[in-house]
Amino acid sequence: MLSYFVRRLLVALPTLLGVTFIVFSIVRVLPGDPAQAMAGVHATQDYIERVRKELGLDLPIHVQYVRFLRGLLRGDLGRSIRTGLPVAQEVWTRFLPTLELTAASLFLTLVVGVLVGILSATKPYSLYDHASMFLSLAGLSLPVFWLGLMLMLLFSVRLGWLPAAGRGGLRHLVLPALTLAASSVALVARFTRSTLLEVLRQEYITTARAKGVRESRAILVHALRNALIPIVTIVGLRFGALLSGAVLTETVFAWPGVGRLVVDSVSARDYPVIQGTVLVIAACFVFINLAVDLLYGVINPRIRYD
Amino acid sequence: MPWPIRASATTRERPVSAWGLAWSRFRRHRLALLGGAVILVLALSSALAPWISPYDPARSNLRLRFSAPSLRPPEDPRALPRCSRERSFVGWPCGVHPFGTDDLGRDLLTRVLYGGRVSLLVGFAAALGSTLFGGLLGAAVAYAGGAVDALMTRFTDAMLSIPQFPLLLILSGLLASRELPWAVRLSEALGPAKSILLIIVVITALSWMPAFRLVRGEILSLKEREFALASKAVGASAARIVLRHLLPNALHVLIVQSTLMVGEAILIESGLSFLGLGIQPPAVSWGNMLSRAQEFLYYPNGIYLALFPGLFIFLTVLCFNFLGDGLRDALDPRLGRRA
Repeated sequence: MLSYFVRRLLVALPTLLGVTFIVFSIVRVLPGDPAQAMAGVHATQDYIERVRKELGLDLPIHVQYVRFLRGLLRGDLGRSIRTGLPVAQEVWTRFLPTLELTAASLFLTLVVGVLVGILSATKPYSLYDHASMFLSLAGLSLPVFWLGLMLMLLFSVRLGWLPAAGRGGLRHLVLPALTLAASSVALVARFTRSTLLEVLRQEYITTARAKGVRESRAILVHALRNALIPIVTIVGLRFGALLSGAVLTETVFAWPGVGRLVVDSVSARDYPVIQGTVLVIAACFVFINLAVDLLYGVINPRIRYD
Repeated sequence: MPWPIRASATTRERPVSAWGLAWSRFRRHRLALLGGAVILVLALSSALAPWISPYDPARSNLRLRFSAPSLRPPEDPRALPRCSRERSFVGWPCGVHPFGTDDLGRDLLTRVLYGGRVSLLVGFAAALGSTLFGGLLGAAVAYAGGAVDALMTRFTDAMLSIPQFPLLLILSGLLASRELPWAVRLSEALGPAKSILLIIVVITALSWMPAFRLVRGEILSLKEREFALASKAVGASAARIVLRHLLPNALHVLIVQSTLMVGEAILIESGLSFLGLGIQPPAVSWGNMLSRAQEFLYYPNGIYLALFPGLFIFLTVLCFNFLGDGLRDALDPRLGRRA
């Protein structure tokens, strides 16, 4: 188990390295001059040159990349152009709200999505099945931010039940989490249904039923355990989509998270922050996928770590 | 078994082609047919917007701001809008605002129709671009094999492990800069079309990976099959084998992928435009209508500004999803109904 963990970690490293390379080069290759942006519009050519030197932007590109990586290892992501604060600190203060939001949505996805899927699979082609599958396809087609706006209009403007924006207690979390979770719940429900239906056709389920195992036990214990592996994979992959959706959700609900930070730093052309934020988001995603891989063994002991 | 060799299952006298069989399966999928029909209506009414709507989408009428949806003309004759076009042959009479008007008194339905032109164009173009690019690349790489294949697959994995939306934001945000000489020249040449072209390129650049992986997988298994080996044996060039023999057999994957991608691209465009980093005014898209609408949520009748464009995005994407589902069932019965 431990050696498997180490090896998976080692496989994740090249992916992370690739991610750093992509992020680094996007910011470098694209038009726009960070030194100019940092020095301001009215800066003299002289001053811009000095800033460029300070940032190390005058060095050859591969030297810059190595310096960037070396800084990364020390946890140094540079300083924000806008605020002058270290990027690591900026990202960190925004990270917890986003984590809270995505974790709540992930929870909803897992519980509601899987539940709806199970109920659909137990009564395939029933009215409930058709209705929930129609609704889930609808959920997949909703623009996240529009759903957010509509929920906000209904529950905070019209009914006044929930706060419209900002971060606070649990009440503040409800609308953003629902908004963000909608498409993932829909996807997981559809996926759970089709996976479970496939598993339920297997012979060992027939055997279990023939033995007189209660139907609920056959589904929840015998079938679901084997269906869970692809489901957990999908849920893990949804994490990336949730992080993407968080950008829009956080904008609608004025949620002070990483997503909002990306939008703000792109508008302000704050290159170090853009770079740092995307890196942190991508790293999270890679590690979540790693965690999902490790979960396989817990769910299904037949998978050996060798 | 590959998908085209299935016709023998029927007992008809005349052999049924694979496409004919797929069509007969597709026809049974009622929601997919409905989706296709709605898309057709939406696309046609958007394309014909200047002839359907009696109004100019950009002309404001400050006497008529935030009017509620209504099928009757306003009672105050001074508030009557000037109808700039007389050639409207269908549509609705001058003075009527079926969806109401926006913060500048412009007719909302007219703007939704014009916005549909841009949103649908972006959807179709980006879907076509990303499936073609990803598909061709996937086919080439799979056929070549070896180090090229390994390297490209790794690169694709790395691309897929970065959540898409932040990257989209960065690309479109930085490319849209106005400080650069070439960007300014581009704007002068293209006018409002620049942001449309840009967003198509950006979405394509970051959405080719699923098509790449799907087609690569198909080609990897197809290229070892007898018909591929046979054409290689008679001396066909690699390009001929890939384009003429292998890709057509992977076409069903591409068709389904591109259909679903249209909806996806429309969602991406609307999200980017909502954040102000997509389609720029004066061009209208459903996304940038929503971006403006956000400011007026609390105004009387302001809710319609947000309601209608979003409803159209939702409806369009839903229809493309139905269509994609139906096409998948029709073209690839092996798959069954997958999420």
